[in-house]
Amino acid sequence: MNFRGTLPTLILEALEHEPSHGYLIAQRIKKRSQGVLDFKEGTLYPALHKLESEGQVESFEGVEKGRPRRYYRITASGHGALTKDRAEWRALSRAVTLILGEA
Amino acid sequence: MLTELDLWLKQATCQLSIDSAAQVRTEIQEHYESAREAAMSGGSTADEADRVAVRALGNAQAANRQYRRVLLTSAEAGVLREGNWEAGAVCSSPWLKWTLLALPIAVLFAAIGFVLAGSIDKGRALLSGGIGMGLLFTTPFLPIYTPSRARVFRLLKWVALLGALGWAFDWSWLLTLKWSWLLASCLWPLAWTEWTRISIRRKLPVAKWPKQLYL
Repeated sequence: MNFRGTLPTLILEALEHEPSHGYLIAQRIKKRSQGVLDFKEGTLYPALHKLESEGQVESFEGVEKGRPRRYYRITASGHGALTKDRAEWRALSRAVTLILGEA
Repeated sequence: MLTELDLWLKQATCQLSIDSAAQVRTEIQEHYESAREAAMSGGSTADEADRVAVRALGNAQAANRQYRRVLLTSAEAGVLREGNWEAGAVCSSPWLKWTLLALPIAVLFAAIGFVLAGSIDKGRALLSGGIGMGLLFTTPFLPIYTPSRARVFRLLKWVALLGALGWAFDWSWLLTLKWSWLLASCLWPLAWTEWTRISIRRKLPVAKWPKQLYL
């Protein structure tokens, strides 16, 4: 399913409770959407870099199974952006549901 | 022999700077290994796992387009490198630093001299040249360390540069087709460097900006 423009918000949501690396973020989004949001994983990292340059996530070196991995965690600015995106999404979703009817 | 992943990475890192390309290779390699392990633990053979992991990455050219929007390209890294080299060369050589600071002042004094001697046109051209040289040579020494101050400075710099150029050569004949090639060829390197810096500013967090990005 095409969900262009929402990937940064989904990434922030995936990082809301704990830091994670890219592969886990991708799997978390796919699992939580029950496989509906099946995006190409090569596009995840450019979105992560953009969030990092905007100061919404920060990265650090971690280790998983003895291998070094780059982990990402959400910042205070990222939490603020996520709260704003959630409110906007709820308003949009409510409006579209009013027009199209309940699924 | 190149593997499927090598081919994907080659396309995805096209035109990226050496550092950006290395970063992409590292993160995609890590991602690929995790995806491959997950596929193998799900019962896939090694070959199948390789294919699944590369397929999950998607189109390499699409990834490359997105990477070029957020990571430094080789052209942008070149502009940064040259800017840093110039700043280093000026700062490490006191006589060059003072020459660059004194030159626009000397030109301004010469302009005043010509005006006082009655050569208004020569004085006007030298004054414009002095303003232009001042803007180009003395800016690295100005205390501009915040993005908002830098935005104001850049706006003033371009207004002053274009104004000085127009004033020196008289707008009426400068803007005719006859001399537009001269204007374009003079401003093109400056405009291209400025355009590249705009792109770099969008990509680098402010904390990592070298001095040249503020100017």
